[in-house]
Amino acid sequence: MSYTGCFHCNEAIPAGSDFSLSIEQQPRQFCCPGCLAVAETIIDQGLGDYYKFRTAPASKAQLVPDQLQLVNYDSAEVLSDLTQHKTDQTQIELSIAGISCAACAWLIEKQLQKNPAIKTVSVNSSTARCVVSWDLKQLKLSDLLNSINQLGYQASPFMADQEEAVQQAELRRFLKRLAVSGFMSMQVMMLAFGLYFGDYTGIEPQFEGYLRWISLFLTTPVVFYSAKPFTLSAWRAIKGRELNMDVPVTLAVFYTFLASAYATVFDTGEVYFESVCMFVFLLQLGKFFEFRARAQARAATGNLLKIMPVSARLVQGDELVPTSARRLEAGQIILVQAGETIAADGVVLSGQSSVDESMLTGEYKAVSKASGDTVMAGSINHDGVLKVTVHQALAHSRLGQIIELQQQTLNQKPQIVEKTTKLARFFIQRLLIIAFATFLLWYFWLDQDRAFWVTLSVLVATCPCALTLATPTAITCALARLNRKGILIKNQQVLEILPQLNSIFLDKTGSLTQGRFSIQRTQLHNTAYSQDTLLALIARIETYSEHPIAKAFSTYLTTDIKNPIKVEQVQVHVGSGLSARWVQHDGTSADVKVGSAAFCDAEAETTAAVCCSINNQLVFSVKLSDALRPEVPALVKALKQRGLSLSMLTGDSSAQVEEVQQQLQFDQVFKGCSPEQKVEHIRQAVAQGDKVLMLGDGINDSPCFHAAHVSVALDSGTDLSKNQADVVLLHNDLNLVQELIEGAMLAQRIVKQNLWWAVGYNLVIIPLAVMGFVSPYVAVIGMSFSSILVVSNSLRLLKA
Amino acid sequence: MSIIYVLIPIAILFVCIGLGIFFWAVRSRQFDDLNKEGMSILFEDEKKTVKPEADPDKQPPQ
Repeated sequence: MSYTGCFHCNEAIPAGSDFSLSIEQQPRQFCCPGCLAVAETIIDQGLGDYYKFRTAPASKAQLVPDQLQLVNYDSAEVLSDLTQHKTDQTQIELSIAGISCAACAWLIEKQLQKNPAIKTVSVNSSTARCVVSWDLKQLKLSDLLNSINQLGYQASPFMADQEEAVQQAELRRFLKRLAVSGFMSMQVMMLAFGLYFGDYTGIEPQFEGYLRWISLFLTTPVVFYSAKPFTLSAWRAIKGRELNMDVPVTLAVFYTFLASAYATVFDTGEVYFESVCMFVFLLQLGKFFEFRARAQARAATGNLLKIMPVSARLVQGDELVPTSARRLEAGQIILVQAGETIAADGVVLSGQSSVDESMLTGEYKAVSKASGDTVMAGSINHDGVLKVTVHQALAHSRLGQIIELQQQTLNQKPQIVEKTTKLARFFIQRLLIIAFATFLLWYFWLDQDRAFWVTLSVLVATCPCALTLATPTAITCALARLNRKGILIKNQQVLEILPQLNSIFLDKTGSLTQGRFSIQRTQLHNTAYSQDTLLALIARIETYSEHPIAKAFSTYLTTDIKNPIKVEQVQVHVGSGLSARWVQHDGTSADVKVGSAAFCDAEAETTAAVCCSINNQLVFSVKLSDALRPEVPALVKALKQRGLSLSMLTGDSSAQVEEVQQQLQFDQVFKGCSPEQKVEHIRQAVAQGDKVLMLGDGINDSPCFHAAHVSVALDSGTDLSKNQADVVLLHNDLNLVQELIEGAMLAQRIVKQNLWWAVGYNLVIIPLAVMGFVSPYVAVIGMSFSSILVVSNSLRLLKA
Repeated sequence: MSIIYVLIPIAILFVCIGLGIFFWAVRSRQFDDLNKEGMSILFEDEKKTVKPEADPDKQPPQ
């Protein structure tokens, strides 16, 4: 592969930077010291093959591995939560961010296998998971994670949920059943051709009997092993006095098989073994692809469920002891550093900081906390160091309550009866009546001997194969199509509901808005300095801060290494700002303060403003706001044109809600909502008969996800929301909502076409079969042809 | 034509062997990640010429 950008990640190389490394006598350029370090490690370890065979560029490497966080994983309590012990080995499952192709899997495996402490390692590149078992005495977990991080990936401990493990096992069973029906179909089809030719040219009775017996023998495992899921599902339906699609399937399979077995044993009539095998194989194939698409979507979002505030640092006397957050008890004291997630609900004992609670409350401005204030588990500490007295264990925290609320709503997902199920009910009733009528007609009025066989050919010819394949194949193709566009669908019912959608609820902070500060307006008070210089200077100083405001300036950071902005003695003043000495190009230096208006001795002019003073003189002020995503106004307009009712549902109660409302004109606005109230609003809409889509990103949105018919989470959202949503948008682009709705409509159109074809075919073939004109191979060819047509029609969804 | 009394059972025997191998492959998780197993042949070849002592077997966990 040839790359124009960074040799490692293929991103553009910033002008003026120079990071190069000679690889196989060729100088290669890199975009940042992180990528350079990773490439150096890979080459030094003799793993240069990676660059030769990879099919996609790597993701950009981060230079700062969070050593501190990793060390927390070494505490015995955390380890026992995360790993499984087997005699002298420890096994752990990791989810690895940054795997882009199969070569990555090889790279990680080779790197880990070099370490003698590691016994086995297996990386799955499609699910981005890794299972390692190693000797804990020789190697610490933090070192293990670190050796993966050195290659530019981020490994984090992960626990697959029960459901996912079950799905993996089911997928393997599917493969086995598919293999049995596939292999057997080939054999039986081959023998069937012998029998077909025998019909024309004549066949000696002993050979005909022999071929039939062999076919019977080969078909038995298909009927009793491969078709088991259909049989079980049909049995459950009948027990519940219902009819589903599997009832006619099972009926056709067993009736055909038993009739053919009877014909073989008593040497009369016709055999249809090849129909049985082909029928089961084709159905299995359709179901398998559908199931695999869903399992993959599930695994991908499962990766997002990294174990949330996993560790905490407990203060014991003068010592800091890392511990598992789940084991914290009321009364204990924990230390939370800047940038860390607060592990439990509690009261600040000492320290001062601002804390981001937006994921829990929807409020986008950081809340300042001093001693005596309460903090919530799951919120993020921004700038200062806090000592917190734990109030309640994690399970009873506000975070825990929200998760519990969401578990409660899980079983109350509004259901709609699937159209195909309705159709199946209709179809099977008519089919049974027709088959029965045919039998009576032939038995009493036409030809008593042929009655049984004509009934059988009616069942085989009308065999609901195409009808059953119509929906799953179309849905699988639609899932693949949307997946390629960056939309991950975990609940396939979504596609059936979306075309009927009439109401959308949107969260504000982080969904409609970017969820971070950006510069709205600047004002220059002293013309001695240019605006660009000052922005670059502020950006340079703000790199020392963890505060979210600092990120607003990061785009103005210059990487010009020939003319760097020199700052010295940078000090962070918690809750107010930063001060530094700026060494100018002419050698003079000046005192610079960046921060709140009061900190810079200026009169406060707006909220959330950053001022900059040089030598105690105000020179520059910046107004910040949480800006709307650029694509939102156009999207809102387009959705309104579709006739959808739009509502904004936010936990924020600030004036920003009105600003957004004025700009976008929603049909309804609910502000200052708690998670419980949000659920209530959506339930009301559902009770009114609306089909509701909820789009959100925070932990506080996730309970609503189960109340709405369809829930959509954003890639920038919290792990919990992504894990719970039906749909995850993988790119940070809200326009994908439109793509989603359009994709669902297209899928519905294809399903309809498929169903029309299947029903139309049956309407033609049934009269012929009833009149006894359909011989076995005509029935089989008709069935296969209509199935292939349905599948090909579905495949059209994959184009474009 | 009576040869088919022998040939067909032999063919069935092969089918059973094939199925047995497929079941083993599924159970040893070779179908969990088709991309990686497809690529692995490229890497192993190269490996042997560079570092003959490296163990070419990638044992998936059982």
